[in-house]
Amino acid sequence: MRKVALVGAGVSRFGVRKASYRDLIWEAGKACFDSMPAVKPRDVQGLVVGSVMPERTAFQSHIASMAAEALGIRPSALSARTEHMCASGTVGIRYAYAFIAAGLADLVMVLGVEKLNQPRGDEAILNMGTGVDREWEAAFGLTAPPCFALAAQRHMAEYGTTEEQLAMVGLKNHTHASKNPNAHFQKGATLDQILCSRMISTPLRLFMCSPITDGAAAVLVASEDRARDLTDRPVWIRGTGQALDGFQLTSLHEDYARWPALERAAQSAYRMAGIAPADVDVAEVHDCFAIAELIAYEELGFCRKGEAGPFVAAGRSDYGGDVVVNPRGGLIGCGHPLGATGVAQAAEVFAQLRGEAGARQVPDARVGLTHNNSGMGEHVVMIYGREA
Amino acid sequence: MLYFRATDPFPLESADHTKLHEFYTRLAAGRLATTRCGACGRLAWPPRGFCGECGSDRFDWTDLSGLGTIHAFTVQEAGLPAGFDGPRVFAIVKIDGLRVFSILVDAEPSSIAVGQPVRLAPLRVADDPSGSPRWLPAFRPA
Ligand SMILES: [Zn+2]
Repeated sequence: MRKVALVGAGVSRFGVRKASYRDLIWEAGKACFDSMPAVKPRDVQGLVVGSVMPERTAFQSHIASMAAEALGIRPSALSARTEHMCASGTVGIRYAYAFIAAGLADLVMVLGVEKLNQPRGDEAILNMGTGVDREWEAAFGLTAPPCFALAAQRHMAEYGTTEEQLAMVGLKNHTHASKNPNAHFQKGATLDQILCSRMISTPLRLFMCSPITDGAAAVLVASEDRARDLTDRPVWIRGTGQALDGFQLTSLHEDYARWPALERAAQSAYRMAGIAPADVDVAEVHDCFAIAELIAYEELGFCRKGEAGPFVAAGRSDYGGDVVVNPRGGLIGCGHPLGATGVAQAAEVFAQLRGEAGARQVPDARVGLTHNNSGMGEHVVMIYGREA
Repeated sequence: MLYFRATDPFPLESADHTKLHEFYTRLAAGRLATTRCGACGRLAWPPRGFCGECGSDRFDWTDLSGLGTIHAFTVQEAGLPAGFDGPRVFAIVKIDGLRVFSILVDAEPSSIAVGQPVRLAPLRVADDPSGSPRWLPAFRPA
């Protein structure tokens, strides 16, 4: 297999945007091309677009071709859309990786985009129900918050994790987002504000949840030869893993605080990269809810099972700790435009490993990890490095 | 009002629309049923028309007890989808060794506990576009 690297990355502003679905594609595409001026749209051989529900939110399908035309890309090697709920973006990066590693393409853009906000907020939430089983879950009004709330209830009962520790994930990520000009929330938050915010689904309060966000992100993925032609600072894809435990809540591990699929996806990625959890300098993990970030610490091997609460409370996942988790602000601070999230995580790791993250820079970051999930039962992990 | 499938949150339950219509027929009569694989005998939840263990598409219907216990729950107070009200109690109910996802009706949220016994309480929701009644398998404290 050939080596594969990121050579460019850009993100749109995230938030409740006065922008159309196509406006967001233009913004992220422009930011990505601006990061690699040697590449023009006509040079890109393929486009993969991660997007979950444009059929509902923009009344549009045939997404990859629509985006290719919007950006002036004429795909000759790969053109596809990935829909894999909240992990659509990272699944798209895996497609580009596989095509390039196999020698079927040399330069591919992966773009993630979602226009979730609608004139009526409850319609936006209604749409989120498409991500769980319609007949047996969504028909009851289920969306993501109660699913992750079950995991939080269990983690608290089994390991003594506290509401304050959940709030500390929100505090850290809101603080990080205040240094990110593209984040949905940039005002920071206090522990009191988080602990007094509105209850969404017990025990998860508003500031422990990611918001409904519009946004897009794009990365340029290249073969080793192409990458070395374009830049002396490529960011290499060193490992990747994906695993499924189950789709419906009743198919998952009976202990909702255990996510065996994340452990398996991480082990695959670590093995492929030849590294251990302790080698990771910076991690973008899928904090759709604060409990998800805590369980991710454990399943990714940053701490032992059950110790994630004390781990965040001691600052071990923040600047100066063992590993800086979610320096861009995570899904809680940046927002979660589903298909864009995994690509935005990759864009942050790209900036961090090139030393271009400005006020958010993790000193001398060499190895970066991204973790993207679609529900509690399915996980994708990528490992990136400065060295191939 | 015009009917659009894309904004109808409930399944189409009649024999015209699903192989699993027997589930809903029995539910309307107050019975909680599921499928047992016709080849390997595996009991499934939810009901299914193809066995992921042995690959058979033969199945028989079997009634469950209708009485279970709460394995896990959460109370959603805000952020519910259009057409659904809070507070809403979502629960995983253990019943005859199976885990069933559902909601609890007629329950005081502050009094619910893991391990609490609950009983099937079929919930009638909006009729389908041809006027047939539709039901979901909800539960209430036993
Ligand atoms: Zn079978």
